[in-house]
Parts: sequence; C-alpha cells; structure tokens
Amino acid sequence: MKCTFKNKRISSIITVVPSQEYRFDDEYHYFKMNEAQAKRFKKTMSLDRHRIAPPEVCASDLCLFGVQRLLDAGVLKKEDIDAILFISQTPDYILPATSNVIHGKLGLDHDVICLDMNQGCAGYLTGLQQACLLLEIPSVSKVLLLTGDTSSKLVDKRNRISYPITGDAGAATVIERCPEERTIYMDVKNDGSRYKALLIPGGGFRMPSSAKTLELREVEEGVIKCLEHADMDGAAIFNFTMDDVPPQIQDVISFSGDTWDSIEHFFLHQPNPFIVTQMAQKMKIPAAKVPNNVVSLYGNCSSTTIPMNIALNCSGPMLTGTHRVCLSGFGVGLTWISAVLDMGPLEFCKLVDYETT
Amino acid sequence: MDKPEFYQRLAEILDIEEVKPENVLKDFDVWDSLAILSVLAMADAKYSVSIKAEEIRSVVTAEDLARLVEAKRN
Amino acid sequence: MNFTFRGKRISGVLVVVPANERSFVEEMRNFNFPEGRSLKLKEVMGYDKRRIVEPGVCVSDLAVFGLQQLFEQNLLKREEIDALLLVTQTADHFMPATSSLIQGRLGLKQDMLCLDINQACAGFVIGLMQAFMLLEQESVRKVVLINADVLSRKASPKDRNIYPMIGDGASITIVERDTVDSVIHASVKMDGSRASALTIPAGGLRLPSSPETARLEDVGDNNLRAKDHVFMDGSAIFNFVQTEVPPLIKDLLVEAGVPVAAVDFFLCHQPNRFMLEKLADKMKVPHARMPNNVVEHFGNSGSVTIPTVMAYNLRERLLREQLQVCLAGFGGGLAWSAMLLKLGKLAFNNITEYE
Repeated sequence: MKCTFKNKRISSIITVVPSQEYRFDDEYHYFKMNEAQAKRFKKTMSLDRHRIAPPEVCASDLCLFGVQRLLDAGVLKKEDIDAILFISQTPDYILPATSNVIHGKLGLDHDVICLDMNQGCAGYLTGLQQACLLLEIPSVSKVLLLTGDTSSKLVDKRNRISYPITGDAGAATVIERCPEERTIYMDVKNDGSRYKALLIPGGGFRMPSSAKTLELREVEEGVIKCLEHADMDGAAIFNFTMDDVPPQIQDVISFSGDTWDSIEHFFLHQPNPFIVTQMAQKMKIPAAKVPNNVVSLYGNCSSTTIPMNIALNCSGPMLTGTHRVCLSGFGVGLTWISAVLDMGPLEFCKLVDYETT
Repeated sequence: MDKPEFYQRLAEILDIEEVKPENVLKDFDVWDSLAILSVLAMADAKYSVSIKAEEIRSVVTAEDLARLVEAKRN
Repeated sequence: MNFTFRGKRISGVLVVVPANERSFVEEMRNFNFPEGRSLKLKEVMGYDKRRIVEPGVCVSDLAVFGLQQLFEQNLLKREEIDALLLVTQTADHFMPATSSLIQGRLGLKQDMLCLDINQACAGFVIGLMQAFMLLEQESVRKVVLINADVLSRKASPKDRNIYPMIGDGASITIVERDTVDSVIHASVKMDGSRASALTIPAGGLRLPSSPETARLEDVGDNNLRAKDHVFMDGSAIFNFVQTEVPPLIKDLLVEAGVPVAAVDFFLCHQPNRFMLEKLADKMKVPHARMPNNVVEHFGNSGSVTIPTVMAYNLRERLLREQLQVCLAGFGGGLAWSAMLLKLGKLAFNNITEYE
C-alpha cells in the first residue's frame, strides 16, 4: 500500500544504549558451545558484543533519557512537543499507554496527543508514517517519535540462538513540518498469516502469565526458553527477508522515480549481519551503501536499529548535507515497510550511553 | 546440476572435510539452525532457488537436499 | 488540541457483546461488604447486568467473529479493507500486533495497513481521528476501526470498585470518505501525570508478572486486589471527569459555532450512570439527550461503550436519519476527547452476540 507525504522532515535523532556491554567471547560458555562451535558461530554471524539493560531499566527510560539530552542540547523545547509516539513491544505496562506515562514524567501541558503503537522491526517506519499523518493537522507541528525495546528481558541468557544477537536500545526522533516539499515515498505490506515466524506465546491475553508460562525448558539443544520468550522461525524469517523485502524496495524506488544508483544509503533493519549481507548481495547493492554493523556492536534492537544505524554510521554527513536514502523495516507481523526520502541536514544525530543520575 | 560441486559447497559451509550423498544431515554435529540458514543462503546465492523452511525440514540425506535444489532449478 | 476533518463519515457500526451475562445481585456475595451497602451502590451507579467473555476469549476472537458476520451479510468485502485499526489495551500477545493476527485469520490482502493503538476510554474518538487521517491518503478508501477489550479478565472478583462495572466487547466501525464536504471538529487532551489513576501495576516490563504479583492484597478499603489486577482510583477519575470534560465539550462547540441545544445527542463514554447524570447536570443537558444506560445492560467496556450507545439507544434512528452528535471519550491515560459530527444514515447499526 503506497503512501506519500510532503513537507515533512526528520530534524533530530538520538539513540540511547545501556552502558553495560557484554562480549560474545565472555558469554559463549553459557550457550553450551565449545570453542570451535563458538568460533564458527561468531564468524558466520559477525558477532562481537551487545548492550543489555539492567533489570530496573525499561525501554521508556532509554527513550526519556534521549529526550532529556535533546532538551538539554536546545534542539527541542517542551512546549513545542505536539505529539508523543511510543513504538515498542516491551511497554512499561499493559495499561496505561507508556506514552502517557512519559508525558507525565516530562510534565508537558495537556494539548499533546500520546499514542502507543505495537510494532517491532518495522516500527521506525510505522512511527515515521504516523508522525507524517499527524503533521497534516494544522495544530501539530512537531512530533516526538520514540522507539525502544528491552528485548533482553524476553530471552534467557542461555539461549544460544537468540541471546547473542539481542540488544537493548531506545531512540528519540523529532519529525516536523518544513517548507520544502521533500516527498516521502512509502510502501506498507502486512501478512498476518505468517505470524508464527516471530511470536511471544504467553504473557498477553491469549495465554496469560502463570507458573506454566514462566517455566524455563530446554526446547532444543542449547535453546532454553519459557512461553513468555520470543519464538523465532529463523528459516521462515530468512525466506521472508529474501523473497518479500527486495521486491518492495525495488517497488518503492520506482515509485519515487529513483534508481538503485541514485540512492546513497540503504538503512535496513538489522536482524543480524548475515541476513543483511545476503539481502544486499541479492539486490546487487554495493556493501558500502548498506551499513551492517549494528548487531556486531550493539545487538539487534528491534525498531531502533534504523536510527542507530544512521547515528552510528552516518552522523557526520547527516549533520552537514542532504542525502537520498532508503529505509526499510521488516519482521514481526509479518510487516514490511520501505521508504525513499531525502534526509538531512539534521540538527542532531548521536548515539549515547544511558546514564542514571 | 553439478552434484559433486554441490556436495563440496555443502561441506564448505558446514566446515567439514567431506559430504557424501548418503550422509544423514541431522547426524552432523554442526547441523543446527545456523547451518540451515547457511544452506538457504547458498541455495539462493549459487543456484538462485528459494528453499522454504518446511522443505528443508523434510529433507533427510545430503542427496535429498541436492535433488530438492535440482528440482527447483528446473 | 483541536482537529478538523472534512469529507469523512462513519458508514456502519457493529457491536459484538459476549453472550455470557452476569448479574450484580448474584456476584455481590463475593465482596467484603454488607449486602445492604452493595445494593445501595448498585442503585446509585446503575449496575445490574454486564457481559463478560468466557475464560480464554481474546479481542481477536471478538473482532474476527464480527468481521466474518459482516462478510457473510455482504455488508463489507474483504478486498475493500485498506486499513485495520485496532484500539485495545488487552492485546492477544505482546508480539505480534493483534491487528496482524486478525488480518491473517481473515485472509485479508497484503497491501494494507495493520495498526494496534493502545488507548483507553478515549479510544473511540482517537480511533476515529486516526481513521480520518489515514483516509487523506489516496490509496486508503475504507478503514475498519475496531475497538475491543477483555478487561474483565484482569479484574479482581473481590474488588467492588471495579469488578461489577467492567464489561467486555468489541465494536467494528466502518469509516470512509464522504461525498459531502462536511466538517468534523474534534479535541483531545492528555495528562500523563495522573496516569496511575487507572493502571495494571504488573504484567508489563516495569514489573513483570510473577507468583508475587498474583497474590491478593488487602488494599485498605475492604477490597482485595493483586498487582496483576486493574486498579482504578474512583474518586480521582470522578473528579477528573467533572472538572475536565465539560470545558472540553463547551470549547469544542464554541469552536464549531454550534450551540448545546443544536446537538441532538451527547454520546459519551459510559463509566456508570451516576457519573453521566452528574455530567449532564453540570452541562445543563437533559438526561434524555445524554444516554447513560449502557453500564446497567452491558457493563463498561472501555472505548466500546460509545459505539454501544449508538447501536443500543439509537439503532433505528441512525439507520433512518442523520443526527448531529457530540461524542465524548474520557478516562485512562488520563485522556479526554470530544468530537462533533453528523452521524447517519448508517448502512448497519447492530449488536450481535458472541458465544
């Protein structure tokens, strides 16, 4: 489904990671892996380290910290915030919405619309779309898009498939109106019939939390999990990323009147470096245009991988010039959303460590 | 399809000396979810075929796998 | 914050209520209160019957049931659905979004939007606003707005503040473009500093569920509740509604240039009869123009109560004529919202039972 938005721009990005860093070399002994297996795994998946939040830190804390830094830097004023979007699959509460809680913590006035939206890997694009929809309303000039997840709380340390690639992070992005047209071209697709490929069975209302859903079991060699942890069908996800996402990216590039060459950067969601490399090769995009180091350094942080990718790899150029980029988020749902737009110059573009005061 | 080349490629991605057609894939120490992903990637990159998750789960020997890839090519 | 929309309309409403009915008089024996006092509460609040789901029933079940009925009755075609919005606070899973599950179960097309929005009692007005915003996109011609909750499953049977009041249900509202360029006015306000007035303390990531959080505690007012249960600060909510909602509606009507007398009906969220009578009095609106009987028949089903008022109190009228209505949704968040629009004639305006 195609969407276009005019006269909107991303003006600031901050991504926040826990300061606690853990290296694969120090952790693989949890995973029932011998050294040879660990070496092979580390090499194929290009793993190195990831950031894991301490137990008391939630995604909203990471996002709020980012917002504070933007306020401190003077690129955002509290009274200018017209909407708060919180996109996550690890909210503070079942109810109320976490965006409402954040609104309270920031002490904003009542004329702010707060929305929580449940989305994972495609979440940055969902948020961008939602911000643009809101910015069509005359009373909305500036939207604060918050993406964040503490996926580490949904996986056991001994789960050798999932834990090494998991990372926690939050991001705050400011999206606002601008006089230049800067059309954003977007395509959205959904296929809920394949929902089992990425699913948390328990903890919601289908299978409420109980002693049974919290019971940890070894479901296969080296994979210890409970029903409140994420189930992932790696092969089905791989098929999906190779079969469904490239045609959408091709489609949206044609839609925007671009070519593969006219796009300077492809900021793809980062499930793991292996998949991103395969996708880039399939689409015949030179590796230099497809930064692929987020998981190796910070882990797969769900909807925040895209802003992190930008802040980690492209902040210099983003602060100084305008660049034709393609953003693509794909995964849980299954949902896949790709967009082509001009990005930059941004007023702020950084990756920072979370600090408790 | 050049079968010896296929078995050679399979051995490479599994990081083992040799793969024979009659080898049962599940018997390899290294036959885990990572191995499966590597096979899917190899099939796509080298043979331009897309193997589905269910298909790979139903394959038993290396020869079954070779036949699957060959059938999809034609 | 004010919003204006043009050229959009609600074309049909279907409310799905569980067939399972409970009665206050039967259930009051569970509370630690003398019967006489409970009966007094019943009379004042307007509690009587409510509909709640059987164990294990989720919002996707109610939504799929309702949509299938619309498909079978030829009131909606699968391929026409360009966006599925689900406003809920009681999702099937943390991952994936429940709107994706509904899309999958019904075999809807891939070229569409699926969105889960977490909002409470203000969720019908907010959902409508979302639908109107989406309809500005050329590729979006028909939006299915689903409001649904199964909150009874998180209410403590020993908590008299909340248990007798909660109802479950789902509403399906079809929203599309209008040939007439009529104007819709809306207003939304939020105050997260009072978010804790309506919350479930455990179950999210701030305080994950555990055997500890399932333990019933005497919370001091003769009610027993666990951290896994929904908590509502009744007097804080009451004060909030009395203070914030009348000025919101008044300002909206002034903005739209429409006097109170010109509004045919005020279709408000239905927390209980007591609050609505007081609200009507404060706004000097005759009780007949602000229906308040949904709770006594169905219970308070959050953002579903407004469409329930439409289908229960105005069924025939909305099928036959066009009315000037003011919607008002208020509660958890805290959030309060109002919308002034012309409603009707609807293609359908029904209540159906889910077994």
